[in-house]
Amino acid sequence: MIDLEERIQEKKSFFYRLVFIYLLFGILFSILLYKTYSLQVSSFSDYEIASLKNRTREVLVQPTRGIIYDRKGNILVNNVPSYDLIIKPWKIENLDNFIVKISEIISLDKKEIDYIDENFNKKALYNRELTIKRNLTTDEIAKFEVRNFRYPNAFIDVRYSRQNKYPYLFSHAIGYVGGVSNEQLNEILINQDKEQKETLFKYSGGFLIGKTGLENIYDKSLRGKFGKKSYEVDASGRFLEEIEFIKPKNGINLFTSLDLGAQKEAYNQMDNRRGAVVALELESGSIVTYLSTPSFSVNSIANGMSTSEFNSLLEDENKPFFDRAAQGRYSPASTIKPAIALYGIKEELIDWEFSIDDPGYFILPEDQRVYRGWKEGGHGTINLNDAIIQSSNTYFFSLAYKSDINKLTNHLSDYGFGRNICSDCFNPDNGLLPTPEWKMNNLNFGWFKGDTVNLGVGQGYMSATPIQLAYYSAFLANKGILNKLSFIQHENKKVDSSNSASKIQKTDWDKIHKSMIGVIEDPRGTAKRLKSLKSYIVAAKSGTVELVSTETKEDYKIIRENKGKRDHAIIIAFGPMPNPKYAVSVVIENGESGGSVAGPVAIAVLNKLITE
Amino acid sequence: MKKKLTFKRFSIYFDQYLFISITLLSVMGLFFLYSASQGDSSTIIKQSIFVVFGLTLMFAMSQPDPDFYNTFSGIFLVISLLLIFATIIFGKEINGAQRWLNLGFFTLQSSEIIKISLPIFISSYLSNKSLPISPKHTFITLILIGIIFILIARQPDLGTSLVVFMAGIYILFLAGLSWRFISISFGIFVLSLPFLWNNFLEPFQRQRIQTLFDPNADPYGSGWNITQSKIAIGSGGINGKGFQEGSQAHLDFLPETETDFIFAVIAEEFGFIGVCILLSIFFFILLRCLYLAFNARDRFCRLTIGGLSLVFASTLFINLSMVVGLIPVVGMPLPFVSKGGSSLLSFYIAFGIIISMATHKKLMQR
Repeated sequence: MIDLEERIQEKKSFFYRLVFIYLLFGILFSILLYKTYSLQVSSFSDYEIASLKNRTREVLVQPTRGIIYDRKGNILVNNVPSYDLIIKPWKIENLDNFIVKISEIISLDKKEIDYIDENFNKKALYNRELTIKRNLTTDEIAKFEVRNFRYPNAFIDVRYSRQNKYPYLFSHAIGYVGGVSNEQLNEILINQDKEQKETLFKYSGGFLIGKTGLENIYDKSLRGKFGKKSYEVDASGRFLEEIEFIKPKNGINLFTSLDLGAQKEAYNQMDNRRGAVVALELESGSIVTYLSTPSFSVNSIANGMSTSEFNSLLEDENKPFFDRAAQGRYSPASTIKPAIALYGIKEELIDWEFSIDDPGYFILPEDQRVYRGWKEGGHGTINLNDAIIQSSNTYFFSLAYKSDINKLTNHLSDYGFGRNICSDCFNPDNGLLPTPEWKMNNLNFGWFKGDTVNLGVGQGYMSATPIQLAYYSAFLANKGILNKLSFIQHENKKVDSSNSASKIQKTDWDKIHKSMIGVIEDPRGTAKRLKSLKSYIVAAKSGTVELVSTETKEDYKIIRENKGKRDHAIIIAFGPMPNPKYAVSVVIENGESGGSVAGPVAIAVLNKLITE
Repeated sequence: MKKKLTFKRFSIYFDQYLFISITLLSVMGLFFLYSASQGDSSTIIKQSIFVVFGLTLMFAMSQPDPDFYNTFSGIFLVISLLLIFATIIFGKEINGAQRWLNLGFFTLQSSEIIKISLPIFISSYLSNKSLPISPKHTFITLILIGIIFILIARQPDLGTSLVVFMAGIYILFLAGLSWRFISISFGIFVLSLPFLWNNFLEPFQRQRIQTLFDPNADPYGSGWNITQSKIAIGSGGINGKGFQEGSQAHLDFLPETETDFIFAVIAEEFGFIGVCILLSIFFFILLRCLYLAFNARDRFCRLTIGGLSLVFASTLFINLSMVVGLIPVVGMPLPFVSKGGSSLLSFYIAFGIIISMATHKKLMQR
């Protein structure tokens, strides 16, 4: 036992020690309170944002693309709803079991199963949904809906598909849409102040971007702006409640200058022959027909095509993907003659009365080399008008012989050659307008006089695309005044007349029109067979592109055995005369005769445009 | 004021300050729990039963004379130890920890019992030892504390074992542990920290301590709880989001809302003002205990009141500082507020004993 004094001492010691511990706790609790204060008061806004961010999840909402119309208001490309069966590959562990299970109610053919096998792993890796069956029937939808609890990783959704109503007609003009690479997607979203995240798709193809044609050129306005949906989510990421929905801004409709009727006519006339047809409305310089054949279905490209199908198109020797209208390079051949004639007139090398004696060939004085015409024995004494009507090569060889090559190429450039004359064509080729400089740089040879002589009949190094030929045709028709070409209906017709072609007298234009009318209307005209195909007057110039230079007709007959070596047929035309409204160019590869093979196509398209 | 209501034959021992403040805390706790459990009425009914039973128990525990506790403290400790062993042998495993003993009607967490019986026993043991406590008694006490600490820590229940350990040390200190011993052992403790880190902590416990210093290093792994708790508290602001409006709690971002992290729910829904009100009640209880300890009738009562109130303070501090991210995550409830069985009841019992110690006066004082 302890005594009283010790008890007092013990009580004092206890008192001090307990107060000491309480003070320690006081300090600890003060720190705690300060910590709470700093969380709740000092850093309140940071944590408020963190809490908000925690419980909200934003998803993007895809806009639908604009509809594409022709100039008469016909829908060319539309968004068509379809009911698709979609799976979430990243949640499916055993694909084979799943296919067996789903096949009990929705039959999948071999092609569809192949498609799934081909794409499943990739989609699973990137957490992308995979559409396994498109365009479900109402029967299939009903069957699935009753049993959908058995398929937690599959669902049916209305999705749109981008559909060209005329998939073969506009495959090159309008082009197609396709999937987006990650970089492209990032760029698109950054431009719209958004970031890449989960997306509610409107299209079965997911994110779409215009790959070619107008879908590509006008992608930005057709695409629209992504909307945004915010959901309240719980910790596991389940969507609980929609908080906010900023609707997507759907794409702007595109009103093109294309003419469905004329395009159809051109397509039918071409009948899958290799070639291109381009027709222009003269007043605005807008493109009404734009066709490259053979064609392919843009719809199957845009909405899923198996790799093997795609490869067979790629390997097709007729190259259906190749856009001949804007990228095919062809010698303009005799169609160049009106432009050469106008050069001669402008430079006063000749006048309309100037005639030569045409023996059927031209001998280059420098080296005695012979340049042959197409008609054996020649056209006799011939003036400029007749030289165009009958397409005398000798006349234009000798005119080109007198020309300065640099001045001549400048002149031809005004007519649209060697440059881009289209404001919204997809990847247009500029063709080739050869100059001495070009030859030296590319072929390491100096320019020969013979090169200039060849240029006089549109052969040799020069090449042009069908759209350039159409521009050239329209330029002649419009007497040297023409806008840059476009696929869009323009309201203001701003005219670009800032080139040297304006130096040419109106009477000379009238005379060149008259000669080109003669090509069809004159009994001696190279395209006289077209006369009966129409009920109005048309001006034209045909051409035949020699792929292999031959000395005699007999030689050509041998060459002809190989279809790929036959001449290309080419024609430019415009009408109705004397006040033309439309111009057209037609190229048919290995078609042999510009007048009688390419000509009927051009006339048929003009008929459609003018008489309807 | 301590009160003694005298009837014809017997007296009732009662402290209205503690009784009212604990009742207030318990009732507030029911409201908080209602929100934290997403309005689950069965949880509330169960908790209400616990509260009523607990308050009754508290009242009952204040009636016996301190001599009763003094006399039987050894038996209480032995019973508690038997329960611990029973838990080790028959215990139910939950989340990898074997802390619970299934009694059929009630799952008992035996460490909660020893949290009370050990301080009483040590108080009793040291109450007649002369000052300063001799090395022999010090070592006997320390060995006892050590054995029990290890038994609980191995369950594993780091939080409770620390509280039990500290309770023993507090009493040893209050009873007059020599300062020389304190300074020497503190030095040894600091030096042995690396050893303890490597040998006595489970990997997940080490991980918790590591994430404390940089919770953002792994926000969705082990730092998740601390991060979400801080967001909940911080986003409560001064006024709070309102009753049942806490998005962190209601959208499952916050873990263990009904038990260990209920303070985060309170802070989110009632803000800094709510936190201050809640803490002032706790502080009032603690200060009341301080007052009662000074006025207790003898050394045993003083030591018991001091020890148990410090157990209470430690539990409170560990829970709160864990939730605000000051210390690593350890399982520790908020007294009188967290949902619970054993831990909740143990504090009612503890305060019942405190009231008993404070209200009984020696009849033969002079």
